[in-house]
Amino acid sequence: MSELRLEARAAMAIARKELQIFGRYRLNAVNQVIQPLYQTLIPSILLGATFAIDGEAVGLAETAGTTDLVGYLFLGMLALNLASAGFWGVAFAIKRELDAGTLEPAWLTPTRRETFVIGMTIAGLILAVAATIILVLVGIWLFGASLAPRLAIAIPVLAISSIGVLGIGYLIGAVVLRMRDANFFVDAADFLFVLLSGAAFPIIVLPELVRWISYLLPTTHALDLMRVAALDTRPILPIPLEWVMLVLTSVALLLLGRRAWLATGHRLRVRGTLGQH
Amino acid sequence: MNVADIAGDFRAFGAAARKDWRILRRYPGSFISFIFWPIALPLAFVFQAQAFAGGREDTAAAFAARTGTNEIAGFLFVGWSAYMWLSLILWGPGTSLRTEQIRGSLEAIFMTPASRLVILFGPAVSHLIWAAWIFVVVGLALWIGFGVTIGPFEALRASAVILVATPALYAIGALFAAVVLRFGDVHALVQGVRGLFTAVCGMSFPIIVLPDWGQTLALALPPTYLIADLGAVLLAGTELGRIIGDLAILTGMGVVLALLAVFAFKRTERHARRGGRLAQY
Repeated sequence: MSELRLEARAAMAIARKELQIFGRYRLNAVNQVIQPLYQTLIPSILLGATFAIDGEAVGLAETAGTTDLVGYLFLGMLALNLASAGFWGVAFAIKRELDAGTLEPAWLTPTRRETFVIGMTIAGLILAVAATIILVLVGIWLFGASLAPRLAIAIPVLAISSIGVLGIGYLIGAVVLRMRDANFFVDAADFLFVLLSGAAFPIIVLPELVRWISYLLPTTHALDLMRVAALDTRPILPIPLEWVMLVLTSVALLLLGRRAWLATGHRLRVRGTLGQH
Repeated sequence: MNVADIAGDFRAFGAAARKDWRILRRYPGSFISFIFWPIALPLAFVFQAQAFAGGREDTAAAFAARTGTNEIAGFLFVGWSAYMWLSLILWGPGTSLRTEQIRGSLEAIFMTPASRLVILFGPAVSHLIWAAWIFVVVGLALWIGFGVTIGPFEALRASAVILVATPALYAIGALFAAVVLRFGDVHALVQGVRGLFTAVCGMSFPIIVLPDWGQTLALALPPTYLIADLGAVLLAGTELGRIIGDLAILTGMGVVLALLAVFAFKRTERHARRGGRLAQY
């Protein structure tokens, strides 16, 4: 039990360190919040306006069950920010340690290797939740999104999704350690993950085969549950099944990711390539 | 400046372009990225457009009325490929200077007798190969994936539009390069300008859906004309004569921006030389 407490303390210390580093680059911090606004949201809202009839997104009502285009897209940012926590939060942190040559000394401490990724993911999740709250508030105040107070459902949804995000963190950490210069891979995988989660459109428009991949992502179900609660959209699966899928996919991703992370750590220690970058 | 100087500058220009191309070839990962993004980015917006259309005739008609074309995929692919090309051209010169600055070779380059045009745009020429590649990938994706064919005449007209837009865009690239020399890192500025272009220039929407102030702002930016005219000649079969007004505006913008860029770059270079900033980063 005391070992677990020590690991938890180490994870929190790593998360604090990551947040401190993030806070030192204020312009980057601001950019992280507003980037989805100009890169995704505004072009998407204006594309929606191109299809609107009398200002109403009647086409979206056919595919998603709501005409609240702005609310639909702003909630989609949750998937984008959660994925970003798992992908970039961990990838950047590990790459920074690799480049600075501090990864090997850090791994020589008695802290478990998994704890490093847990700390990095906690920092990423804190930033993701903060960025999503700011974006949703911007959506409500500036763009008139009408999100119901039933958004309290976000608390259990986020808690369960975090398990899956940690799994992504482990997987991406393993990839970065193996590839070293994995920027394109992380960027492309992050993009596809967000796309297939239905952040920007209902997954019903995807080809059937691709849609099955979407069902295997926890963020698809997290996002859908939130949209059903806040916007009364049509659920992609029956609600109880969506909860089950959210739990199952999150746990599966965690187990898969942890296994890949530990295997990679073992391989690097055997080969003695941990200090290379 | 005599003929020998000009010939020397041309040789230096070619050498700078070859050097950058060699460096690019050493990172094969970038080849994959130049296949992935020109397809993946617009494709995401095509799916989004399908969701917004909802399979209804009235929404498709609304799109056609606002954009002037029924080709949803064509409209989005052309818009985003123009955006990717713009990104390469706009940030190319500044990025090259910044890379030389970090490597510590910028001061040495500025001590050569080569023209500043060579230093600014020589390395960026290699990016034109990627730009051509992007358009080829997009053309093939449209043809194979959506049955949209682009004929030789449309391609020629599009090349003419690109040619007219190039001075204005390269001038903006040179302005960015001046900012790099003055301030070093310009990541935030680049993101800001890129965001502005994405939000108002009509990569994924016609600017008619913007509020009045947004349309005014869009019409003051060269990429708006480039994207609209590329869409018109490639998808609606518009003759060059019908967009002559836009092309004249683009030419005018090119002249003004080029003069501004020359002035800004000369001043910044003088400042950097006097302050010894060429070797700093």
